[in-house]
Amino acid sequence: MHYVIIGNGVAGINAANSLRNYDEDAEITIISYESEHHFSRTALMYVFCGQLSEQCVEPFERDHYEKMGFKRVNDKVTKLDTNSNKLYLEKGETISFDKLLIACGAVPAMYNWPGQDLDGVGNFVTWQNLQWLQEKSKTAKKAVVVGGGLIGIETVEVLLQAGIDVTFLVREDYYWPIALDKTESTIIAEHMKHHKVDLRLKTAFAEILGKDGKVVGVKTGDGEIIDCELVVIAVGVRPQTDWLKDSGVTMDERGGIIVDEYLQTNCTDIYSAGDCASVIWFNNVRRPEQLWYTGRDQGKIAAANLFGMEKIYKRGTFYNSAKFFDIEYTTAGLVNFNLDGEKNFYSQEEGTHNTVRITYLPDNKVVGFNMLGRRWDHRILVQWIDEKRTLSWVLDHLHKALYDEEFMPQFKLNKQVS
Amino acid sequence: MQTGLMSTYKSSLKSKGIIAWVLSLLLFAFYLLIYFTNIPDSWAHLVGLESKWNLYGVLYTIAIIAGGLYFINTHGNSRYQKFRTFTLIFMQVVFAFSIPEIMGMFESKGFNFAKFWPLGIELFNPKYIFDYPILIIVYAFVGSLIAVPILTLLYGKRWYCSWVCGCGGLAETAGDSFRQLSDKRVKAWKFEQVSIHTVLVLAILSTALVIINWGMHYENTAGEWVTDYATFDLIASKVQGTYQFLVVAMLSGVLGVGLYPLMGSRVWCRFFCPMAALLGLIQKFGRFRITVKDEMCISCGNCSTYCEMGIDVRAYAQTNQSFKRASCVGCGMCAHVCPRGVLRLENKWDFRKTADSENRKVFDF
Ligand SMILES: Cc1cc2nc3c(=O)[nH]c(=O)nc-3n(C[C@H](O)[C@H](O)[C@H](O)COP(=O)(O)OP(=O)(O)OC[C@H]3O[C@@H](n4cnc5c(N)ncnc54)[C@H](O)[C@@H]3O)c2cc1C
Ligand code: SF4
Repeated sequence: MHYVIIGNGVAGINAANSLRNYDEDAEITIISYESEHHFSRTALMYVFCGQLSEQCVEPFERDHYEKMGFKRVNDKVTKLDTNSNKLYLEKGETISFDKLLIACGAVPAMYNWPGQDLDGVGNFVTWQNLQWLQEKSKTAKKAVVVGGGLIGIETVEVLLQAGIDVTFLVREDYYWPIALDKTESTIIAEHMKHHKVDLRLKTAFAEILGKDGKVVGVKTGDGEIIDCELVVIAVGVRPQTDWLKDSGVTMDERGGIIVDEYLQTNCTDIYSAGDCASVIWFNNVRRPEQLWYTGRDQGKIAAANLFGMEKIYKRGTFYNSAKFFDIEYTTAGLVNFNLDGEKNFYSQEEGTHNTVRITYLPDNKVVGFNMLGRRWDHRILVQWIDEKRTLSWVLDHLHKALYDEEFMPQFKLNKQVS
Repeated sequence: MQTGLMSTYKSSLKSKGIIAWVLSLLLFAFYLLIYFTNIPDSWAHLVGLESKWNLYGVLYTIAIIAGGLYFINTHGNSRYQKFRTFTLIFMQVVFAFSIPEIMGMFESKGFNFAKFWPLGIELFNPKYIFDYPILIIVYAFVGSLIAVPILTLLYGKRWYCSWVCGCGGLAETAGDSFRQLSDKRVKAWKFEQVSIHTVLVLAILSTALVIINWGMHYENTAGEWVTDYATFDLIASKVQGTYQFLVVAMLSGVLGVGLYPLMGSRVWCRFFCPMAALLGLIQKFGRFRITVKDEMCISCGNCSTYCEMGIDVRAYAQTNQSFKRASCVGCGMCAHVCPRGVLRLENKWDFRKTADSENRKVFDF
């Protein structure tokens, strides 16, 4: 049996590991072009600022492929032939497979803005982006970062640290409205300003201005011109699936590979996982999940199904965590979904960034948590949501879900309901 | 990002650049001079101190105070780190330095109350310890044989290795800038398991020989302390001397500190310290463990990188395995630097299986 995995990211490598566990003798080939070794994309920012070395962000030792008996092909797949189960690579090689996993991830979304091809415009998503930004940050004095999400704020943080003045353009009324409410977002905005970020809310981005092929500034929707030598665009990512266009693999309108609950595509023996796979969410919306741990999960489940087991990929209650400069963030369940009749309990510890928001329904059952500042154990929060605990019960037990380092100041609730 | 850690890999000092090599060379030279020559005595006299050992004590204490304050300045936003470092400074200044010095002023032999057997194997040397008042003798025995194991069962070896110990104290303060240099490879772990337990065996052997040899001595009619077993006496003192030279001088001093800028600050503690070996064995049966929050790790590698003991923490975190490791000194930096709050140091009896050296999964599926 020859399994071929396209992609050396978290989905691809975890699928390969699992496959090897199921099948000791199978031939397993991993094809990718971005980097020789599997690395943690989530840690790009730490490499940029020198907190980690390039090798620090490789989750496995370098002899992992050899030890596990994976064949590693460093090339780009340009075409998939679903009739003959063949892959065509850029350097001319062809590879046949018995079963295929497409875990080719995502690339930065770019929407054909005027000036986007100028020297000094780029993204912060791939290994090549990292090298580009390291190079550019040596000379740049002023940068504009476009896009109010997580990659945006991480980019702002590392550029500031490199001694570059940063203007952060956010189109929305406040930073990251899909995850934060206005109060929470304001805390983050104040924190950014405290770190000397020139944050511009409600500011669209219209055009990049250049001179002699190089960036000299950015023009906002209002016509204001901001001088800069560097523009980093972080308005999201899209599945890296252009090469699949005429292959017969069905995709959604944004290029996400449509998979069923077994992560199988419309073609037998072809599966997909990770940032490129369009899965059905709990609320029946179809889109890729684009998170680290879901990528890992999907990789493992896809491997089981490639091997011939029948494992269903079912997402439990949503959770995630992140960090905005120094402020840690934990979320679980349904917050910011504007559910019918939802109410929010809100508490902030005086003189700190530590907030607690608990979303509950008219029957007092808690459906979501949004926490800033302190560390929380998402496993407990998720459990409470699944057990349909009431708000008052949750408030009485909340301290049990704390996950702070030892000796941190005692947790205090300031009850107020909004 | 973590204040104080940014630019680690851009700094020549912290990433084995030229400056690190020069510093390592200077440290080697300094330790060789201190241990094997009398030249530093003249430096001591210059600053009005009695001997090179007093000078060494002063320098050591200054290094811990200065390094400790610097550490608190960068990582003091974590109260665990703050309390721990203040305690280390206090232990060095009061117990390791001042009390022995003051005792010296009263014409008695100094005693370091922060040192236990087998870190100081002399504590179980009758010839050495019986010179002290009875209270100190009791302290040394009860401390080493009862208090230390109990505290370790309750809190892990961290209460000693990263809160009290002088060797750990230097590593955590002046040596903090080098924690990322520890070798994380499985190879290094395998080596450590052999080397550290070998030294423990040597320490026990050397102690046993010294005690037996002492028991074979008696006071003759002329009031002299003699033995009828001259060969055994010779072997015992040879073994003791070799241990003193090899382990105490070479491994803990010259190599241990000399290699700070190249292999991290815990070379001695990780590969050779008999105390760490013993506490590590006890730790495995105790309450202390590192808990991992399931499916939250982003495999960034901060925890592994900043583990001074070379534990590949990420290997546990990314596979959802809470763990106990004999070598973990509980400095807490993995939890502190983790950007997703995955890790937590905990003392709790929990007999569910934790991962350790025997059953660690490299990946889960
Ligand atoms: C800066 C940044 C920070 C992030 N932080 C977080 C975070 O904190 N938490 C979180 O949950 N998620 C985070 N994410 C998202 C997370 O990194 C992704 O969801 C995850 O990496 C997706 O993994 P993947 O395996 O699906 O794809 P990728 O990691 O993108 O891997 C794709 C692989 O496919 C290969 N490939 C693609 N096309 C081809 C081709 N045609 N031929 C051959 N090979 C090909 C590539 O070489 C690559 O190896 C972050 C993302 C970025 C960019
Ligand atoms: S446990 Fe934390 S620091 Fe360690 S790899 Fe995972 S996310 Fe990074």
